[in-house]
Amino acid sequence: MDTGRKTPVSYSQEDVEGEENTILIRRTLRSGQKFYYEGNVIVMGDVNPGAEVVATGHVIVMGQMRGMVHAGAEGDESAMVMAFRLLPTQLRIANHITRPPDDEEPGTFPEVAKIRNGVVTIESYQTGRAAV
Amino acid sequence: MGEVIVVTSGKGGVGKTTTTANLGTGLAQLGNKVALVDADIGLRNLDVVLGLENRIVYDITDVTGGHCRLRQALIKDKRYEGLFLLPAAQTKDKTSVNPGQMKELCEDLRQEFDYVIIDCPAGIEQGFKNAIAGADRAVVVTTPEVSAVRDADRIVGLLEAAELREPKLIVNRVRYKMVKAGDMMSIEDIIDILAIDLLGVVPEDEMVVITTNRGEAVICNDHSRSGQAYRNIVRRITGEQVPLLSLEEGGLMNRIRRMIGFK
Repeated sequence: MDTGRKTPVSYSQEDVEGEENTILIRRTLRSGQKFYYEGNVIVMGDVNPGAEVVATGHVIVMGQMRGMVHAGAEGDESAMVMAFRLLPTQLRIANHITRPPDDEEPGTFPEVAKIRNGVVTIESYQTGRAAV
Repeated sequence: MGEVIVVTSGKGGVGKTTTTANLGTGLAQLGNKVALVDADIGLRNLDVVLGLENRIVYDITDVTGGHCRLRQALIKDKRYEGLFLLPAAQTKDKTSVNPGQMKELCEDLRQEFDYVIIDCPAGIEQGFKNAIAGADRAVVVTTPEVSAVRDADRIVGLLEAAELREPKLIVNRVRYKMVKAGDMMSIEDIIDILAIDLLGVVPEDEMVVITTNRGEAVICNDHSRSGQAYRNIVRRITGEQVPLLSLEEGGLMNRIRRMIGFK
């Protein structure tokens, strides 16, 4: 039966991650609220200071990320944190713990944090280049 | 049937009790029948702020414990016909009342009053849970300080979890000069984090200290800016649309300067 769905482009195995679970949080996480998930987390809202998001996979925030975020919480060094505004109080990926530099003006554009050569690096998000 | 509104903040000292006293007085000025409930058992203040301390015979724990009737514990205000206070107990603690009893109490009060305003204690423990148990609406009070805003955010989260949707925000003790100079959080900064509707902004005002020490509400003072701010907030609570107070300090002189073209 034709369901009307089509796959317009075929992706290679590396481009599509289907193994892990992904959960969608459709609200803002406020101070004191903690969210833990085994898989990827997408927040459609802000993560306020004092809130925590911990995921074994990636964390994507469609809003302001001002709280504590931990991606790849069980040691996955390929995990990333992505946010429209990446202003975390603390950012952790796998067993790396970082905090934003004290004297730097926060960015006003979407950014991605990931581990590159063993160091957590933050770069501006460019379409299609996030996983590179 | 009346409406039950809880005034809460998380952090202490931001002006919950002052706000409760002023909103209650303001609503009574407009001819409403208002009951103020002090839910801060063990650290009661609302009676002192209203100047009614020496009239207390029974308190909230006497009502919930069945030692007296609700009417006996309600204290009539000195100035306003329709304003009543249900005081907290001073010699007991927060665990002497439970959320179920508070819910029942609010149900009884709303039968008789147009507005029931609950003064919530600081913190997020039993006292807070008691205070919000019977409320329909919540007003969150904060000051332009990072710690107060952080606590307010925590409170908004807890209110949402307790199904008290769409709390309203009052920003208290704002110093416009400092905000202008960039030395104090602005209203926009606060709204940016809390993302809830603004009910009003109350400027820092010495008159609040003066009137509170006399056991009066600043809302009765026609010339104070904070009194004006509270009057506007009261009108917004009753459903009126009232624009925010001009955010500039100085009033008349500034207005004249603006009119003749200086900035």
